[in-house]
Parts: sequence; structure tokens; C-alpha cells
Amino acid sequence: MAADPVSFLPALRPIDAQPAAGLAAAGGQAAATTDFGSWLAQSLDGVNRQLAQADRGLQSLATGEAQNLHQVMIAMEEARIGMQLIVQVRNRLLDAYQEILRMQV
Amino acid sequence: MNYLQAYAISGAGMAVEKARVDLIAVNLANAHSTRSADGGTFRPLRLVSAAGAADFPALLAGALRGPEVVEVRPLDTPPRLAYEPGHPDADAKGFVAYPGIQPAAEMILMLTATRAYEANVAALNAAKSMALRSLEIGS
Repeated sequence: MAADPVSFLPALRPIDAQPAAGLAAAGGQAAATTDFGSWLAQSLDGVNRQLAQADRGLQSLATGEAQNLHQVMIAMEEARIGMQLIVQVRNRLLDAYQEILRMQV
Repeated sequence: MNYLQAYAISGAGMAVEKARVDLIAVNLANAHSTRSADGGTFRPLRLVSAAGAADFPALLAGALRGPEVVEVRPLDTPPRLAYEPGHPDADAKGFVAYPGIQPAAEMILMLTATRAYEANVAALNAAKSMALRSLEIGS
């Protein structure tokens, strides 16, 4: 099987954009538009917004403005899941980093 | 984010059931009201809900929608006439028109609405535990 080794790994994109473009051209794929760093920043921003929304919900509940309880609870659950997702991403990232750090050169 | 769709749908279902219970509370509370704001006898209210219609972009994206409140409709049940000649709202023959509310039927509706609310909570919890479980992949 003379498979192209690059096409095996379509999801593996280097953080640096220039080598990614070179690899993608070699593999015959379209260049990735977003790198991992900006994706992480976007996700962090989203989680931050969810947390702020949950916080606002709690405030409106405390001040008696909340229309119904379940919307506040749902906002809090969304924020919790988003937070746990980003924590898991961070764990995997640190694991990979330490794995590379322990590598014998 | 697509994994939050179940949350939105269950939340819409909870909102509808809560509105239903609110209306039942109105009916039960007005069981002995002999007047209403528009002059006649109070008529028991029913909430009409429908599956939410998605707008065009949401339809294209294949998004699902939860139920929504369509309208609040007064029922056409005849008033219950009670003979109370001394009542200020009695008519010429001494009859007072009470709203045609059946407390047993209202209680049954309230129970089903409560159970439906609980079912929505259960569906939301199932979606949440699935999402949390997926975070355990690989760990």
C-alpha cells in the first residue's frame, strides 16, 4: 500500500501555519484556516461568556428578577460542562507537553 | 455548540409545563370568583402549546426546536349556578354564577404537567451525563 503518510493524519495540524500549509499542499488538502491556539482562545472566550451568563442568572435570581428557575439552572449546567471540557483539553495538552519534555534526544 | 441543543429543547419544554401549571393555579384560585375583569363569569383557561417551528436558517442547519406556548384560550364551560339569595352577585332569582371549574380535572392536569416537567428534567440530566461521560474518553 503506497499510501501518502500525510493523508493518514488529516487532523494533525502543526501550530505553526507555514509548515501546515506546506504539509497540506503535499497531502493535497486545503490549508487549515484556524490553528489550535486561536481555537483554544475562542473556546476559552466561549466558556468565559457562559460563566458570566450563569453569574448574571444567579444575580437576577437573587434580586428577584428571574422569570423562571430552570433557565438559571440550565445556564449554570452549560457553564459547568464548558468549563470541564476546557479543563480536559488543558489536561491533555499538559500531558502531551510533558511527554515531549521527557523525550530522550 | 450542538451538545447544548438538548438543553435548549428541554428548557423550552420546562417553560411550557411551568406556564401550564401557572394557568391551572389561576383556575383553581378563581374557583369561587363571581366576577371577572371583563364583566362576565371567569372562564377556566387552557394553555395551547405546539411544536416550535424552526426558522429557515435553523431548518437548513437541521436544528431541532422545543415546544412553545401558542395561546391561552378560555374554555366554554357553562357557569355553575348556586342558589345564594343573599349574595351581592346573585341574579333576580337568587342564583350566583360560579366559574365552571372542575377541581378534580384541574388537579389531574396539574399532575400530568408536573410529571411532564420531571420528564424534561430527566431528559436534560441524561444529556448532561452523556456529555460528562464523553469527557472521560481516554482518561
